[in-house]
Amino acid sequence: MPTPYERPAALPEARAAERRASRPTLTRPRQGRVVAGVCVGLAEHLGWPLWLLRVGFVLLSFPTGAGLVAYVFLWALTRREDGTARRKADPADAEGLAAASTEGSGTETPEVAARREATRVLLVGGLLLVVGLVVVSQNSGLNARLGILVPLLVVAVGAVIAWSQLDDAQRGRWLGSETGTRRFSLARLVFGGVLALTGLVIMATRGRSLAAIWDIGAAVLAVLAGIALIAAPWALRLWADLRHEQAERARATERADIAAHLHDSVLQTLALIQRKADDPAAVIQLSRAQERELRSWLYAGPTGSDATLAAAVAEAAHEVEDLHGIPVDVVSTGDRPLDDGGQALVRAVRESLLNAVRHGAPPVSVYLEVGAQGAEAFVRDHGPGFELEDVPPDRLGVRQSILGRMERHGGSARVRRLEQGTEVSLALPAAVAPSPQPTEALPQPAPARPQPTEAPPQHVPAGPQPAEARPRTTEEDREATGVRPAFDPTQEGTREHA
Amino acid sequence: MNTPERSPVEVVLVDDHRMFRSGVRAELGDSVRIVGEAPDVDTAVAVIRATRPPVVLLDVHLPGGNGNGGVDVLHGCRGLETADGRPVRFLALSVSDAAEDVIAVIRAGARGYVTKTISATDLTRAIQRVADGDAVFSPRLAGFVLDAFGAAAGEVAQVDEELDRLSAREREVMRLIARGYQYKEVAKELFISVKTVETHVSSVLRKLQLSSRHELTAWAMGRRLL
Repeated sequence: MPTPYERPAALPEARAAERRASRPTLTRPRQGRVVAGVCVGLAEHLGWPLWLLRVGFVLLSFPTGAGLVAYVFLWALTRREDGTARRKADPADAEGLAAASTEGSGTETPEVAARREATRVLLVGGLLLVVGLVVVSQNSGLNARLGILVPLLVVAVGAVIAWSQLDDAQRGRWLGSETGTRRFSLARLVFGGVLALTGLVIMATRGRSLAAIWDIGAAVLAVLAGIALIAAPWALRLWADLRHEQAERARATERADIAAHLHDSVLQTLALIQRKADDPAAVIQLSRAQERELRSWLYAGPTGSDATLAAAVAEAAHEVEDLHGIPVDVVSTGDRPLDDGGQALVRAVRESLLNAVRHGAPPVSVYLEVGAQGAEAFVRDHGPGFELEDVPPDRLGVRQSILGRMERHGGSARVRRLEQGTEVSLALPAAVAPSPQPTEALPQPAPARPQPTEAPPQHVPAGPQPAEARPRTTEEDREATGVRPAFDPTQEGTREHA
Repeated sequence: MNTPERSPVEVVLVDDHRMFRSGVRAELGDSVRIVGEAPDVDTAVAVIRATRPPVVLLDVHLPGGNGNGGVDVLHGCRGLETADGRPVRFLALSVSDAAEDVIAVIRAGARGYVTKTISATDLTRAIQRVADGDAVFSPRLAGFVLDAFGAAAGEVAQVDEELDRLSAREREVMRLIARGYQYKEVAKELFISVKTVETHVSSVLRKLQLSSRHELTAWAMGRRLL
């Protein structure tokens, strides 16, 4: 399977393109054009003088109409230039220069527009003159086969009208929002088509009776229907094949993207793991980091940016994990934009995690809960327990960077020694760190859930305690009554030490 | 809880990675006996129907079936009972943390969800718990539940029977599990028995399976479960 790394075919192509680059591609500029910009584009492309081409086209059109046909052909096949004025390359063309210097694209100065209008009038006048000449010559006995010329002219005009519609379609205007434009272009299309069809019919029925026309019409319809019937399966097949190929190409591109990603990430990590097979810690660390990376790629991560509290906490946990090679599990519910208080909470979580991985034992986990009442974070390890006396300098760190920091931001922190391990609880009330843009501003990982309209106490005036307050009250009650011999009481009261 | 004299739990192991299956087989001790293995949905349904084990360890992502992995196995084995008349229970195993995967298998009837990084002892305990008819919640699943029921945002049911919200006590239990507490620790923390914790967790599981909360149904819809 070709990966995006190998593109041997692209090289000669690129070189050829480089060679071609000196010559602008054949497009139809919008500025400086008289009819459709074919001459202007051609002049630019070939590097020939504009007037020469214009005169050439007009002269070629006279005897046989070859110039006209060539013009229409080029018109149909050439792409319109995408608005940008890049015609400064041709200094001889004052029109283009003026247009390019005064504005980027589209609109033109009145002067230029007037000049163009004049050219058009001239053109139409010339056309009428030709028609008149033909009629006159007809009258004076010269057989100019008017019977063919007039219908041909009608067909040409109809085709021009219809094609100019297509031209506009390229501009994307027919998908335009204004229905008026759309209706107008549709009318133009229909009008052009009818005109061309009429011309064709007149040409085909020269000098015949109405009954004959009817017969011919029926025959044509029958033939057309037959062709449609025969060609339909083939056309459908072609269409289906085209769609299939497009889908296939899209899939191949996607597969190449995936291959590239896996190559850069998973395969590299696997190679590293094989090389470090005798170092279990390194293997674990590598695979954890890779797992995280792959997960965030597959499931678009928690949020991808650290603009929200949950993402920032997850990032801090990953950082600690990478630093010490001890896995840290993060669970979070709810989210909110990262403000000053949130930042303090993240730093405190990080510090607690560092403590946990240094002095505790895995599994180390973080639980973050962001609700209407505030944010709470719990950092837990399963070590022998957090002994204040053992590490005084570290304790200072805990005091300063966890307890002190949280209190400075109106929150609170508590270190609890559990039966197995230690848990640091951090709380940050929403009232102290009011987020000016509440929950609707943040990206919801889950489908948007209806936010509670009011805090629970409103619903339950005299009922049980709102659940937000419940754990704290029960814990504090227990602490007050001293029911909890399993927990170090000094740990409970660390706030006073700070 | 871990009574040594209890007979080994019979388990069918459904996972499409042979290395993982042999790893689990090697890790699980005497308290679990693997009576069957299956690498895809169709084999799994056939093996489970043939052996009718009390517990099936079910990978969430499996080839075959209708393309919904473990959910298809759960649908294929609906209403199945063991020889002694207990329902065949499923414990979902996954490497995926994606909420929709987890919620999908739980709503399809799994009794619990653990990640594949779980330690052997924890896995054994989880299998026994599921065999006893209790629910097994990983911290991450508890986090999902709190999120999905809007509990983190402060929504609490006034009546226990309410399906679309958690009761205050259930919320507490879920919070502690999300914080990494074992059932035993949760019980101690809340001054309730382990059995009560298990009751709360089972009740949450029931709500998770039956609730028509918008988020849950949206998740389920995403997996074409409804």
